[in-house]
Amino acid sequence: MQSCFSVVLLALIAWALWSTGFWLVQRADWSVVSGNLPLFAIGSYPEASRWRPILWLGSLLLLTLFTLAQPLLLRRGIGLNSTILSWSWLLMMPLGLWLLAGGGVLDPVPSRLWGGLVLTLLLTVFSGVIALPLGVLLALGRCSELTTARQLSKIYIDGMRAVPLIAVLFFGQLLLPLFLPVQIEINRLLRAVVAFGLFAAAYVAEDVRGGLQAVPPTQSEAAAALGLGPWQIQRLVILPQALRIAVPALTNQAVGLLQNTSLMAILGLVELLGISQSLLANPAYIGRHLEVYVWLAALYWLLCTAMALMARQFERQDPSNLIATRRS
Amino acid sequence: MTRRQRWWIQVLLLAAVLTLAGILINNLTVNLIRTGLGLSFRWLSRPAGFAISEHLLPFQPSDSMAWALLMGWLNSLRVIACSIALATVLGVVAGAASRSNNPLFSALAGLYVGLIRQIPLLLQLLFWYFVAFLGLPSEPLAPLGALIRISNQSINVMGLNLSVEFAAVLVGLSVFTGASIAEVVRGGLDAVPRGQWEAFRSLGIGEGLGLKSVVLPQALPAILPALSSQYLNLAKNSTLSIAVGYADLYAVSDTAITQTGRAIEGFLLLLLSFLLLNLLINGSMQILNHAVLNKGQRT
Repeated sequence: MQSCFSVVLLALIAWALWSTGFWLVQRADWSVVSGNLPLFAIGSYPEASRWRPILWLGSLLLLTLFTLAQPLLLRRGIGLNSTILSWSWLLMMPLGLWLLAGGGVLDPVPSRLWGGLVLTLLLTVFSGVIALPLGVLLALGRCSELTTARQLSKIYIDGMRAVPLIAVLFFGQLLLPLFLPVQIEINRLLRAVVAFGLFAAAYVAEDVRGGLQAVPPTQSEAAAALGLGPWQIQRLVILPQALRIAVPALTNQAVGLLQNTSLMAILGLVELLGISQSLLANPAYIGRHLEVYVWLAALYWLLCTAMALMARQFERQDPSNLIATRRS
Repeated sequence: MTRRQRWWIQVLLLAAVLTLAGILINNLTVNLIRTGLGLSFRWLSRPAGFAISEHLLPFQPSDSMAWALLMGWLNSLRVIACSIALATVLGVVAGAASRSNNPLFSALAGLYVGLIRQIPLLLQLLFWYFVAFLGLPSEPLAPLGALIRISNQSINVMGLNLSVEFAAVLVGLSVFTGASIAEVVRGGLDAVPRGQWEAFRSLGIGEGLGLKSVVLPQALPAILPALSSQYLNLAKNSTLSIAVGYADLYAVSDTAITQTGRAIEGFLLLLLSFLLLNLLINGSMQILNHAVLNKGQRT
C-alpha cells in the first residue's frame, strides 16, 4: 500500500514541478521585477548618490562570498585571516550608516528616502546591535544572585515575550514620543529600530540564559578559587563559554530578526516588503502579485540561508575569534 | 561581594529603574496635559462608528466601542483556535514523515520545513490572501459536490461559511507554525532511543501503530512544553491579520485608536486582552500536559 501511495505522491510532485516550471518560464511576466531592480535594492534613493548604497551592498556581498569561501581559500593558503574578516564585518556597520546618511564629504540624505533591501539590512543590523548587549545584560540579571536584578530582568523578559512584535512597533511609532520630553524628536526609522531592538533583546536574553545555565557551576567556583572578582569571573570565564553555547540559538534569532523586519511594512516603512506593496499598488503592475512574492521569497530565503551558513562557519572557528565578534 | 555591597547595588539598581520610570511618566503627564488629552476610558461606551466585516455576535456600527473590541477579541480567538488545530495536524504529519523510513516522505518534509521557515510569515500571509484566495474564480468551484464550495468571495465547507480573509490567515498561520511544530515533533522523536523503534519493528508491529503506541507516548513529555510555546507564538503572530484585512483584536484596536485618538488607553486594553489570550492558551496547555503525563505514568 505504501508503494502505491508513493507512486501517487511522485506523480503529484512531478505535476507540481512541471506546472511550476511552466509558470516560471512561460506564463510569468517578470518585467515587474526586472524593470524595478534598483527600487528593490535601494528604494527611491536620490539618483545622483545611488552609488553609495550600491557600493555598500556590493561590499557586503563580496564579504559574504569571502566568508563562505574561506575554508576553501584557506586550504589553498590564500584565505584572509579570520580576525581580519571579523573586523571587516564590524566595519561594515559604521560604513553603511555613513554611506547612506552622508556627512563629511558626502551629501546628507534624509532617512525617509532610504528603502528596499538596503533598509531591510540596516534595520536588521542595527536592531541586532541594540538587542545583543541588552540581551546579554538581561540574561546576566536574570541569573544573578541579587533578587532585585533577577526580578526586574524577569519582568522585562516575560513582559516583552508575552506581547506581539507589531504591538511593540506600534508603541514605538505612536506612543514612544509621548514618553519623551517635548524638545526631543527622533525620526521614524530610529523609533522603529529602538522598538525592534528592545523587543529582540528579550529573546536574546533567553537564549543567552540557556548558555549561562549550561556552563557548569564548577567553572565559577574554580575562577573564584583563583582569586578572580565577580565581574572578572563573568567576563573572562562564564560569558565566553555561555555565548559560544548560545551561538546556534542566536543565529536562529538573527534569521528571525531579518524576517521580522518585514513587519515594518505594516507601519509604512518602505523596506523590501513595503516597497513591493507600493509597487503592486501601481496600476501598471496590477495582478502581478505572484511574480513579486516569488521573487521576494527567493530573496529572503537566500538571505536567511546565507546568514545561517555564515554563522555555522563562525561556530567552527577558534573560540577567541568567535567571542571577539559576538561581544561587539 | 560582601552583604553590604550587595545591598547597595540592589538599592542603586532599584533607584535607577524607579527614576527612569518616574521621568517617563512625568514626560507622559506633561505631554498629555499639553495636548489636552488626559486619560479616560469613557470612549468605550460611545458608539463605535465603524463596521466590522465579520463578527460572531450581532454587531452594528452604532454599538459601543467596547462591544467592537470584544468582537475583535472573539475573531482572534476563533482564528487562533482553528489554526492551532490545523497547525498541529500539519506539524505532526510532517514531523513524523521526516523520520519515516520512506525517503520520499522525509525529503518532502525536509523541503516543507526548510522552505517555510526561511520566508517571512507576513509575505506568506500576503501570498495566501492575494494570490491563492483572491486568485480563485468568482464562480464557486465544487470539487466534492456540495461538501466544499470555493470562490474568491467565500469558502463554504459543509454549510459553514468562511470569509476569504479568515481562510487566508488560517492557512498562512497553520502552514507557517506547522513547520516549527514539525521541528518540535522531530526533536521529540529523536529523543526516543533507537532501540524502541527497532523493538517494535522486530515485533512485527506496523510503522503507524508503532509510532502511535510505542514512540509517541514516550516522545510527548519532550514535545508538549515546546508545543505550547509554539502555540503562544501562533497567537502572537495572528496579529498580522491586519495585513490581509481580517478584523482581529489588533486590527479592531488599531481602528478604534485612529477613531478616538486614545492611543495609550487603547494600547493598555490591547495588552490586557492579549494577556488574557496567553493565559487561556497556557492554562489549557497545562491541563493537557498534566493529563498526558499522568496517563503516561499509569501505563
